[in-house]
Amino acid sequence: MYKKRLTPAIVKLVCAALALAVALFFFYKAVPPIVKSLDVDWSGGKPGFFASVMLGLYTFLYGDNIDSLAAADDGYGVHLFACIVFVVIAIALLVLGLRELKGTNSFNRMADKSGIEIKKEKRPTIADFFKKVWSAILGFFKAIGDEFKDIWLTFVNGDWKTKVSYLVMGFGCIARGQILRGLLFLLFEIVFIGYMIFWGASWISKLPLDMTKLSGATQEYSEIYDSYVTTYHDNTFKILLYGVLTIFFIIGFIYTWRLNVKQNKIAEGIIKSGKKLKSGKDDLRSMVDDQFHKTLLALPLLGILVFTVMPIVFMILVAFTNYSGTNDGVSNLFTWVGLDNFNELLSWKSADGAQSYAATFGEILAWTLMWAFFATFTNYFLGMLVAIAINKKGIRLKKVWRTILVLTIAIPQFISLLYVSKMFAKNGIVNGFLMDLGWIKKAIDFWGDTRNNGLMARVLVIIINIWIGIPYLMLIATGILMNIPADLYESAKIDGATGWQQYSKITLPYMMFIMGPYLLTSFTGNMNNFNVIYLLTGGNPLNTAASSTGIAVGHTDLLITWLFKIATGSGNKYYQASVIGILVFVIIAIITLIVYSMLPSVKNEEDFQ
Amino acid sequence: MKKTVSITTVVILVLGVLLSAFGGFAIANRFMANPIWKVDHEYLTNKFIYSSIGIGCLIVGILLVLFSAISISRQASEANGPDSSKHHMGMRASNAISNTAIHILLIVISIIWLTPFVCIVLQSFRVDPLCQVGYVIPKHWGFDNYVNLFVNKDDAGKVISTTLSTNGFLRWYLNTLIIALCCAVMQTIIQLCMSYTLSRFRFKARKGLMKFMLILGMFPGMLSMIILYNVLKDLGLTSEHAVPGLILVYIASSGMGYYVSKGFFDTLPKSLDEAARIDGATRAQVLWKIILPLAKPIVIYTVLTGFMAPWGDYVFAQYISRSAPQGMNVAVGLYNWLSNDQINQCYTKFCAGGVVVAIPVAILFMCLQRYYVEGVTGGAVKG
Amino acid sequence: MASVKLTNVQKIYDNNVVAVHDFNLEIKDKEFVVFVGPSGCGKSTTLRMIAGLEEISDGTVEIDGEVVNDLQPKDRNIAMVFQNYALYPHMTVFDNIAFSLRLKKVPEDVIFNKVTNAAEILGITEYLMRKPRALSGGQRQRVAIGRAMVRDSKVFLMDEPLSNLDAKLRNQMRAEIILLRQKLDTTFVYVTHDQTEAMTLGDRIVIMKDGYIMQVGTPTEVFERPANLFVAEFIGAPKMNIIHTELRREGSDYYVTPFGAHIKVTGEKGELLEKKGIKPCDVILGVRPEHIVLAKDGAEGIPVTLEVNEMMGSELHLHVYTEDGTRIIVRVPTIDLSEAERMKLVNGAKLSITFAGKVMHFFDKDTEKNLLY
Repeated sequence: MYKKRLTPAIVKLVCAALALAVALFFFYKAVPPIVKSLDVDWSGGKPGFFASVMLGLYTFLYGDNIDSLAAADDGYGVHLFACIVFVVIAIALLVLGLRELKGTNSFNRMADKSGIEIKKEKRPTIADFFKKVWSAILGFFKAIGDEFKDIWLTFVNGDWKTKVSYLVMGFGCIARGQILRGLLFLLFEIVFIGYMIFWGASWISKLPLDMTKLSGATQEYSEIYDSYVTTYHDNTFKILLYGVLTIFFIIGFIYTWRLNVKQNKIAEGIIKSGKKLKSGKDDLRSMVDDQFHKTLLALPLLGILVFTVMPIVFMILVAFTNYSGTNDGVSNLFTWVGLDNFNELLSWKSADGAQSYAATFGEILAWTLMWAFFATFTNYFLGMLVAIAINKKGIRLKKVWRTILVLTIAIPQFISLLYVSKMFAKNGIVNGFLMDLGWIKKAIDFWGDTRNNGLMARVLVIIINIWIGIPYLMLIATGILMNIPADLYESAKIDGATGWQQYSKITLPYMMFIMGPYLLTSFTGNMNNFNVIYLLTGGNPLNTAASSTGIAVGHTDLLITWLFKIATGSGNKYYQASVIGILVFVIIAIITLIVYSMLPSVKNEEDFQ
Repeated sequence: MKKTVSITTVVILVLGVLLSAFGGFAIANRFMANPIWKVDHEYLTNKFIYSSIGIGCLIVGILLVLFSAISISRQASEANGPDSSKHHMGMRASNAISNTAIHILLIVISIIWLTPFVCIVLQSFRVDPLCQVGYVIPKHWGFDNYVNLFVNKDDAGKVISTTLSTNGFLRWYLNTLIIALCCAVMQTIIQLCMSYTLSRFRFKARKGLMKFMLILGMFPGMLSMIILYNVLKDLGLTSEHAVPGLILVYIASSGMGYYVSKGFFDTLPKSLDEAARIDGATRAQVLWKIILPLAKPIVIYTVLTGFMAPWGDYVFAQYISRSAPQGMNVAVGLYNWLSNDQINQCYTKFCAGGVVVAIPVAILFMCLQRYYVEGVTGGAVKG
Repeated sequence: MASVKLTNVQKIYDNNVVAVHDFNLEIKDKEFVVFVGPSGCGKSTTLRMIAGLEEISDGTVEIDGEVVNDLQPKDRNIAMVFQNYALYPHMTVFDNIAFSLRLKKVPEDVIFNKVTNAAEILGITEYLMRKPRALSGGQRQRVAIGRAMVRDSKVFLMDEPLSNLDAKLRNQMRAEIILLRQKLDTTFVYVTHDQTEAMTLGDRIVIMKDGYIMQVGTPTEVFERPANLFVAEFIGAPKMNIIHTELRREGSDYYVTPFGAHIKVTGEKGELLEKKGIKPCDVILGVRPEHIVLAKDGAEGIPVTLEVNEMMGSELHLHVYTEDGTRIIVRVPTIDLSEAERMKLVNGAKLSITFAGKVMHFFDKDTEKNLLY
């Protein structure tokens, strides 16, 4: 019998309810600023219809005390904006959920009635996911246990060459005639020990950053200059950096040592079975043959390790220190502060009446998500439309249109973005043009208008981003459109589908399926879209309330530009930037994980091969 | 002979063309420094009415042209003969309407897309004033901005040195070129190594490695910059010597961007590799003799993207060059010209510089567009 | 020119799917062995393990007495023809064929002779300077074979080489492979899913299903003495008719009673039943379509109704069903029927069929093994 599956529908409905709740919350927050902005003299006169409705709403939500209005925020743009976004999301989810509910139920009924047995593919549940995670954890510890067991057994069962190799790496290899391998092992051990003795040990020992044992800059008398000069002793920045590197090195050494032990075991096995061991020449040959992937990966992975992994590890560590402009690690040492930075960022209260970090973070996060949402989907749909328009049968000069659009990709972004940003400046071309037309009297301050949380600048940024982004989408969508098998359309036509139905039932689902992963990456990419924001607005217009945290923050600042400002700006609170960086990572990882697990097209990588 | 198009339609068409021409002319006239058509009537001197009439004429004219185009095509299809059924005609007419509409839409889009580029070119030829102004077409034309990019003059206007020796535009341009060339070569090598391996070899750590790199990509790269700056400073590769430092930073992590080329390699049949291995080729020979000759499009794509990226990078270049003019790239240099204290002297120079930077890159891009499109579409599809 | 020996070979994929179970086979020198089976039966995997393209999870593969498990494909001295030909698109036909020789650093004049020689045999001399994309399917196939020919390898492996060709070309190439084999005189391992190819090409056929070997034998053996129901159904077209029935013993004779008929088992089969002392039981009876005959008017037989009549030219395939709904295919040579008789064979016609006692195959109801062999 068909098993009822209501969970997906219920999940969607619950999410819809949640989204609605969030929307209501934003609406709730938006009411006072709206009422305030109406600027009606409540004491006397008759307010207009809209105003009285809003006032009624306000008294209903906040009570009769109209005086409290004065304390309300000035802008309601963001709240209203967010409210609309969430309402749209809620409606979409509601429709989807109801459709699914109806679909499952009617299908259930019919299947029950007909008595046909319908097998359904088993979908993984959340419990399965946790089971998987649990077994992965167990597997990990078991693997480690097995490693230790194997090391022990190799030692017990091995001959004397093997046993010596536990101390002198590569000894076994050399003794058995694999000179090249053995020498490499030995060399690595010597280098490692040398490094540890001369440098590594001291870096590691200083890594706790114990202030009582480190000394910062001191004024010392120098006979050469005959005056007091500043001498720098310990550099905590370097200690942290090289400490991390040394730890990497130690891990590398342990891995190599394990490899060395394994080599001995393998060699013993081969000798026992009477075969010949691989010579150095064989090793070299296998580097371009069966071990070729290791050769190919060596350089790229080294680059990634040193220039990506190491900085990220460092960044994560910095989030637990007080490395900042005042504690730069050289003239003033920094030290570990535990979770203080997280507390500072996440606490709602701030000391001196300024807006708290948490509030600023929330504000910027909301805008970042909104920006990513609009930037991704406006580009997606408009780009697709343009692609469909250009590729329609009977359109002339297809190549010309495409080339014109592609020009924005061809020209370095900083030029076009900077120029467009200046076009919208107060004395820019756009204002000049509008004034020449006589449509406006005074120049519009596109980038400086702080009303409604800088709504104008925000919308403008999104629009200019469309100008930047459509060409990419147009190219991608064109490629996909051309790949949609023509017989799908032919069969749809024969089945009686109209042009619009063909678009909505074939083109759109097909594009969605193929572009799902792309949409995801472009969403996260937009969250981190530094260039567009920084070059266009530099974060402006200024958000005075949020800037009271010490760093000038604007209404169009994304988390990533805020983070940049914190790290490099006047405050130089690098540690705070690290905390934000970690949070950005967490947010993006969560979004990716959720969306990724829902995408149908990502699971089958090998399907294309 | 059959009359295929009615006289009324032709009249409407002509009317439409005339109206839109008038509208266009009226708008253009308004912006000319010395209007060809001088209007003295009082009610027309009002700017608002004037430009609105022009725009209105343009819109009405376009609509008329559209209407007549549709009816012409409908009449033409009617005249095609009795065998064309009514349904067919209807389809044709609706097709013609939508096609015309799309053409108009595309024209509008093209205008929007081209406007900034036309403006920047026009303004780069403006000699006076040098600051930002509200009109587009220069009142005084000249090449001074371009000349000033490359040479320094004294007060009398005599050339005293090139901007290469004074760490000006020419120096930045050369810096960027060197970075771009190195990146193009090294990035291609690294990315091809990475993507070919991940596409063709099935080794134990493969899946884990790919996931790991996916996770790494989620960290904001901005923060690495500060630590990388310190590392490079230790190596002496910042400020004046930022160029090698920048190259190192750009290429070191380029292995992470393997997706597009992996997608390409995935489409090459695996049996090619297998056949070659059975024919006696080592893995390296397979790559060198079989795969690389077939991978031309993706090699060109990677070279192209590798070459183009450094021209646009501002943040890293700015942070690592630390405002030392010898180590800047064009993006940093030109950005500084637009800073509040320089913009009034350097705005037109910025436009000229932008044009000089954009032209070679854009030409290269346009020539190799086909490969770029292949790469971008393939990459997006394969994710 | 070498023997190939597979001992306890297993293939287990990373996701613990077992593709090949405990595969044992000895291929003699200069033998032509065909692996045949439905898709997913592990035949290609086995071939690829011989080639060295798949890792061998367990067991050993020997070529010419040498264990080659750890050898790279290039060191195994084998040649292989792929299903999609795997021609190098950027090389001319000549370069394609010469590729392996160039890698071995054979002198150019020797290469030239060898390549032109092979091209001569395959009839592709005039295309030598073309790129593969300018060739037709059959020509590409020939190039692929030519590439394998010039190797002078010990073993010639072919992975469904004909399945990308159309039916007519396939028959032609099949004949050419037989000729080629006579010329080359080397060991062949050939994978296909087409039983006709297997029967016509192979000295021995290995029939596989779900990673297990079902039967190994000459074409005659597998056709006449199928080891189990799967082989019986797989070999022969149209496929063997399966009838669930009862085996009875009356005196010293065995009888079967399909659909109420009473047929005596005669000939060799009867003797074997006797010799093996099979007890009366429920059996699965297998009768090939060509062994069923239409009963002449009035003669006793199993009443059936005609459902579909396929005219194949030299023979008719009659799809009929019995009273209890069992479907049976009857193959009747056209020549045996008069025009008038043929006219009667319209859908819904009532016929009666019968078959001789010596042509039946008996399979165990539960194990599906052949009761006699």
